[in-house]
Amino acid sequence: MKKSTPSSKRNRKTPRKSPRNGRRPWFWRFVFRAGAIGLVLLAGWTVYLDAVVTSRFEGRRFEVPSRVYARPLELYDGASISASALERELELSGFRKGDGSRAGTYQRSGGRFVISTRGFRFPDGKESRRRLALTVYRDRVEKFSVLSGDASPIVRLEPAQIGGIYPSHKEDRILVQLEEVPALLPTTLMAVEDRNFFDHAGIAPLSIARAMLANIRAGEIVQGGSTLTQQLVKNFFLTRDQTLVRKGNEALMSLLLELHYEKGDILETYLNEVYLGQAGTRSINGFGLASQFYFGESLRDLQEHQIALLVGMVKGPSYYNPRRHPERATKRRNLVLSEMEEAGLIDSVRAAKARGKPLGVSARPSYSENRYPAYIDLVRRHLARDYREEDLRSEGLRIFTTLNPAIQNAAEYAVTDTLSRLASGETRKALEAAMVVTAKDSGEVLALVGGRDPQYAGFNRALDANRPIGSLIKPFIYLAALEQPERYTLITPVLDKSFTLEFDDGRRWQPKNYDKTERGEVPLHEALSHSYNLPAVRVGLDIGVDVVKDTLQAFGVTSSISEYPSMLLGSVTMNPVTVAQMYQGLATSGFNTPLRTIREVTDAGGEALSRYSLEVDQVADPAAVHLVQYAMQETMQEGTGKSAYYTVPEELTLAGKTGTTDDGRDSWFAGFSGDLLAVSWVGRDDNGPTSLTGASGALPVWSRFMAQVPQHSFSPVVPDGVQYQWVNAERQALTKEHCNGARLVPLISGSEPTQTVSCSGNLQRQIEGWFEGLFR
Amino acid sequence: MNTRFLVYTATAAAFLGLAGCASAPGESIYVPAGGSKAEAPEPPKASSKEDKPRVWRKSEQPDVSEPAEPAPRSSSPSYRDAGDSLSPAAISLIRESDNLLAQGDAPAAIARLERAQRIAPRSAEVYFKLSEAYVASNQLGTAEQFTLKGLSLAGSDARLQRSGWLLLADIRRARGNVAGADQAEARASAL
Repeated sequence: MKKSTPSSKRNRKTPRKSPRNGRRPWFWRFVFRAGAIGLVLLAGWTVYLDAVVTSRFEGRRFEVPSRVYARPLELYDGASISASALERELELSGFRKGDGSRAGTYQRSGGRFVISTRGFRFPDGKESRRRLALTVYRDRVEKFSVLSGDASPIVRLEPAQIGGIYPSHKEDRILVQLEEVPALLPTTLMAVEDRNFFDHAGIAPLSIARAMLANIRAGEIVQGGSTLTQQLVKNFFLTRDQTLVRKGNEALMSLLLELHYEKGDILETYLNEVYLGQAGTRSINGFGLASQFYFGESLRDLQEHQIALLVGMVKGPSYYNPRRHPERATKRRNLVLSEMEEAGLIDSVRAAKARGKPLGVSARPSYSENRYPAYIDLVRRHLARDYREEDLRSEGLRIFTTLNPAIQNAAEYAVTDTLSRLASGETRKALEAAMVVTAKDSGEVLALVGGRDPQYAGFNRALDANRPIGSLIKPFIYLAALEQPERYTLITPVLDKSFTLEFDDGRRWQPKNYDKTERGEVPLHEALSHSYNLPAVRVGLDIGVDVVKDTLQAFGVTSSISEYPSMLLGSVTMNPVTVAQMYQGLATSGFNTPLRTIREVTDAGGEALSRYSLEVDQVADPAAVHLVQYAMQETMQEGTGKSAYYTVPEELTLAGKTGTTDDGRDSWFAGFSGDLLAVSWVGRDDNGPTSLTGASGALPVWSRFMAQVPQHSFSPVVPDGVQYQWVNAERQALTKEHCNGARLVPLISGSEPTQTVSCSGNLQRQIEGWFEGLFR
Repeated sequence: MNTRFLVYTATAAAFLGLAGCASAPGESIYVPAGGSKAEAPEPPKASSKEDKPRVWRKSEQPDVSEPAEPAPRSSSPSYRDAGDSLSPAAISLIRESDNLLAQGDAPAAIARLERAQRIAPRSAEVYFKLSEAYVASNQLGTAEQFTLKGLSLAGSDARLQRSGWLLLADIRRARGNVAGADQAEARASAL
């Protein structure tokens, strides 16, 4: 086209200069040909544009990000949550403080809450709208009742959205269908933006003329002449620059679009495409998401004044941003309300009433950027097993995770707060940490901290810091030993005495205790609870390094494990999540449960795509595990973990194990209560030495966390074949409760000492015992 | 006996009588955050500014090599004779799952039971119910594992033990493990 135009001009001029008639037919022939070529080119261009228009409309029109949800909060009598945690949870799920009767609001006075839920479509069914009342007392829900809505002793709140997996162009939207949109929205939109939408053929020359006139009169651009179709085309296919070529293309494409598709189709696409704001790097597209973003409400629940605001914002989403420029936005909204009134969409009484209302915008958008990057990282890795990245970015999947925001907050706080108190000087600055918290009996990962700055989305230490685990291996050595009750019991004397191993190649290995002292014979339970190295290596070598390795593998360790004896002192490297997986079986009665971050994935319409179910797999003798659990409780009460009780309430019975590697390069703690299993690690990214041990680095982080969370004590059920007996470990004999050196210890049937010692001396204790008996 | 000894003994006895044994079965094992402190439990917070640590002793600082001895703890490792009983909320979910199972919708029943398991993770019944749901969906291996898990929480409750062992016997028989089934049955009848 460009080429033909100048040549035709030049040729047009020629005949005027020349009086000769002979050239005229040639000239007309040329014009005709040029015109024909132009038409052909235009036709070709049109065909091309047509292909562009239709291909976008025939295929998937939008890439919709996946939404990632936290676990929903379950409310019922006895639910364990503090009042402030409940309030934070409500805020996170987009609830607002209010009268507690409008859906999405809550009222709190002291420990008493009235909550009006919005209802939510879960993969396993819909949770309907309800009004609830409850009281939180001593971190527990009491007097739970449903005031209105379907009665139920247990109700799930709408889960908080904790992140998304976005398309590369960072557009975020919730797709809506025309039928589900309140009728007032499209009619208002047309009243304001395109009155003749249902009559024009894509462009409306009269509107353009009218708009131009109005703009000239006002001396600025007050009115746009573009139809909704043109606006859609502009957003969909074209750049924003104002050139004639682009205008031409826009008009042509609008006509083509109208030619091919129904008005409803075009309108629906417009509703989903329109740009309505910005959240960080993400753009808020479409009315569906805008409604959530500005009001925390789903589109179909919006009121007149809210619809008016959204429609008004189409003209300039950042200029009329109601959070940043509330006055401007209010003015614009009221103008739209007047247009609605003028168009007869609402009567004047309602319009006046609506104009008097506040904007009703939520303080904070409930759809925030990923707040838990480390956790979402693990979710993505789990998803990667079953889903393609491309689908996650574009198919609008809904991902229901196991993240517990209250536990996550507690874990983040424990890490950041404790690290600032540990070590000193340069070491303190270099210190890093990671933490994993799981639900003990379900294997659900409730919280994950990837470093001292939980908002930082970089190196995820919980998953990628593979470090030697030190003494965390010891419970598995002793478990392997206690699974042979004819050889080992909790009171079996083990030797705390140095020795040298000489290998075939002449190398020598001489393990040492952390405190460099040797104690001679100690009972096995004490060797574990005090984490003595020499007995652990001796027992490990006695039952066989390969047996210990088998035990670790049975408990879910998949990485390679060396059979070099130094593995008995934890030269095996693991990341915190693997440690949590491995300790999971110890925390239960020897049942492995795969750690999970995802409960379900559904498609955009709510159809279930995958469910990740609870699984259990017994991998160890429950009796032997019970014995190890005993020694791990002893660790907290008398052994290397006892400083936890500086922070943790004394009533909370815990079990755990410290781990330290050479020069404090790695400080570990793994332990559990009745509900939670938590693993913490403290060390340096450069693997440098610190002054920390497991007890002085990772344990303070761990206990800081445990102290913040209401939970149940660890109190395992005694398994079949285990009896608690009073024994005198030193004498290897049964004894009585109040005798000297008596200790109540679980023993596997058949492994009890055969001897009995009579009570030596202590009459005073015996009399005390008799008194105690009276009060039982 | 001198008086001092008598006073001591009586005090100790009274204390123990009131406090009960740490490992007494049936006692609540629930501990609110902050424990025995009289003030309202501290919520987890995101900012350290507003949160003054209530207990943070110097001994947790690494520069102190040997922490001062904590107050001697009277408790010893804790254990129980039985798991938890079901809460009304868990019971309602189990009832829903029973209905779903009766309608032949095992996956939906399992989803309800997993909710129940999350709120009652120390109740043997939940695991037995899960086992039944997996039997209904013909996943016998999974069912066997859930029965074992339930049995690990049945403790000294003979009724639960019995139903667990009988369930296990049925599953093992269905899986062709006759010897295992007989063994489980023997355990049930021995109760």
